[in-house]
Amino acid sequence: MSDPIRKYLNLNDPKLIKWYWIVGLIVLGIIMAVDLAVHHHAHFAKDGIDIDTTPEFYPLYGFAASFFLVIVAKTLSIALKRKDSYYADD
Amino acid sequence: MQMTDLPPAFVLFAAAALLAFVRGKARWVIALAAPVLTLADAWAIIDIGASTVVPFMGYQINPVHVHAATPVFATIFCIMLGGGMLFALNQKRQVELPAAFVYAGGALGVCFSGDLISMFIFWEIMTLGSTVVIFSGRQEGSERSGLRYFGLHAVGGVLLLIGIVIVINQRMYAGEVDPLAFRHFHEMVSGWTSLSWESLGMWLVLIGMLINAGAPPFSAWIGDSYPEGSESGSVFLSAFTTKTAIFTLMVGFAGTELLIYLGLWMALYGIVYAILENDMRRILAYSIVNQVGFMMVGIGIGTELAIDGASAHAFAHIIYKALLLMSAGSVLYATGKRKCTELGGLYRTMPVTMWCGIIGALAISSFPLTSGFTTKSMIVAAVSEQGAVMADLGQSHNHLIVAWFLLEAASAGVFLHAGIKFPWFVFFQKDSGLRPPEVPWNMRTAMIIFAAFCVLLGVFPGPLYEILPYKGVAAKFGATVYSFEHVMQMLGLLLFSGLSFFVLLPMLKRTETISLDFDWIWRKGVPRFWNEVAMPILQTLNRAQKAIFDFFPGAGSESRLPPELARRIGTNWAVSVPVLTITMMLLLYLVVYFVVPMLT
Repeated sequence: MSDPIRKYLNLNDPKLIKWYWIVGLIVLGIIMAVDLAVHHHAHFAKDGIDIDTTPEFYPLYGFAASFFLVIVAKTLSIALKRKDSYYADD
Repeated sequence: MQMTDLPPAFVLFAAAALLAFVRGKARWVIALAAPVLTLADAWAIIDIGASTVVPFMGYQINPVHVHAATPVFATIFCIMLGGGMLFALNQKRQVELPAAFVYAGGALGVCFSGDLISMFIFWEIMTLGSTVVIFSGRQEGSERSGLRYFGLHAVGGVLLLIGIVIVINQRMYAGEVDPLAFRHFHEMVSGWTSLSWESLGMWLVLIGMLINAGAPPFSAWIGDSYPEGSESGSVFLSAFTTKTAIFTLMVGFAGTELLIYLGLWMALYGIVYAILENDMRRILAYSIVNQVGFMMVGIGIGTELAIDGASAHAFAHIIYKALLLMSAGSVLYATGKRKCTELGGLYRTMPVTMWCGIIGALAISSFPLTSGFTTKSMIVAAVSEQGAVMADLGQSHNHLIVAWFLLEAASAGVFLHAGIKFPWFVFFQKDSGLRPPEVPWNMRTAMIIFAAFCVLLGVFPGPLYEILPYKGVAAKFGATVYSFEHVMQMLGLLLFSGLSFFVLLPMLKRTETISLDFDWIWRKGVPRFWNEVAMPILQTLNRAQKAIFDFFPGAGSESRLPPELARRIGTNWAVSVPVLTITMMLLLYLVVYFVVPMLT
């Protein structure tokens, strides 16, 4: 791999990380802006469910779902977590 | 006899036998040519719709038969085997490659089985092959994990066999023309809620298949055994067992509503466990459960679009999952390390492995222009489509609404747990100080070919749609998959899932831990019960028994076995002890046989 590319992959460089956050947030902003222009069809229109047609439903749902799953996982880990030698100890 | 009279699996078995003996260049030729030959043979059979009936132990079995889903599964099994072989060929292990051929042969054999007996035989061959693949992993835990794998699948196999015997008998009794046929169990679709003795056989068949699919509570074996294969072993393992189970469920139980719920559970379970996991290949193993969950939902829905979606997804999944495990396998090959806590920063010296891993990660997340986008979306679309159909018919379909929202959430979660987590912790994150060299050319080539497949299937899904069970339905779906609306929905879902990954990164830091699962019951619970409860009770009983027998004449020391013999058979009991025990059991039998009926 050529050195310029490698330089941009060094994610331990705080300056670079800051730039990536800025670029990333701009991309997310563009997605949200474009989403306003999309006409979303309801998947369960016949049941009167149209939450999936509200603007920004998919970005918000994607974020919330992932966030929730991590919280669920972390909560469960309180009970389920063991040292990785747990089964080998016998 | 023509080639098309023989199950294509036999080509692979023959190759396995040859591979066990040859060395050097010939090994390469056989390993790479056999999958191609098998694919050609499979398609010759598919094209003429061949069906062969042969006598076997007094039955007429049908080991060459083309089901609707056979073309797509047979094709991907052959492609997978070829790619996996290319990846594996530089390694020294002699047993793994023949075992992988046997394993793949079993899987392919199931795809062409027209009757339950052939299906069962190939199913068991698959179990044997895969167990040997795990054993030849020679990881720290390979042996014990392989034994657990074999034990569970042996139990599953026995349940399947009992189920098959019951089903065949019921069908014979009912006077069916073809009682052995491996066909749809339509009786289950209409009445799966009624657990009755009549449906026992079908339930056992279903449970046997579900164990192989990794359905709850048997999901843990995937995370337990797959990471114990070798670098290449787990690539093979990821492809065949669960997807063969998906194939059999598709043939036997399409439209069985229970599968929707099991599938949803699996889709979410896989994410939660992968989030908590530290072993890079176990992360990928859990995400197999997650992906198979999507397929199970498709089968549970059972409409033409859903079946197409599940089979297309299986096809795409085998490729990107193999690619991801090749990438992880390459890292293991180069560094000898498997834990995220010990890895990181490998982008510096393993660019091909990294880029291929990233492409696989994008494909599993179903990013637009990758294979996941053109296949998994079909399952999700089938859920809402069936919801609309049932709404028109006035049928209750709340479960489909819930399923749709959960699948969308799971789609977002895939990006989180596999799409970003795997590449991030292995190739970026902190600098682990490791500077391993890139892997040999054959491993790189295999990864590049599969990465190309991931993109090609995303951009030109047409040829794949052509070989699906209902190609007209798939083609119609293909016309809308790249609609602006759909692409934006997916991008919104995935990129914002990515945002939550980086927002929550401190919470996702890896620790050297594992997570308990239902397998705790047989790995810890049962042994603990045996040692702490059952053994003390038995020992007490033993003492009591001794006391009783010491009471009887003839149980004294002179009638005991000679010391040498006692040592060899591991007991120093007098012969009279078993004799007395048997007498008492006979007495008990008489009591039960004669007295109990009198009382009732």
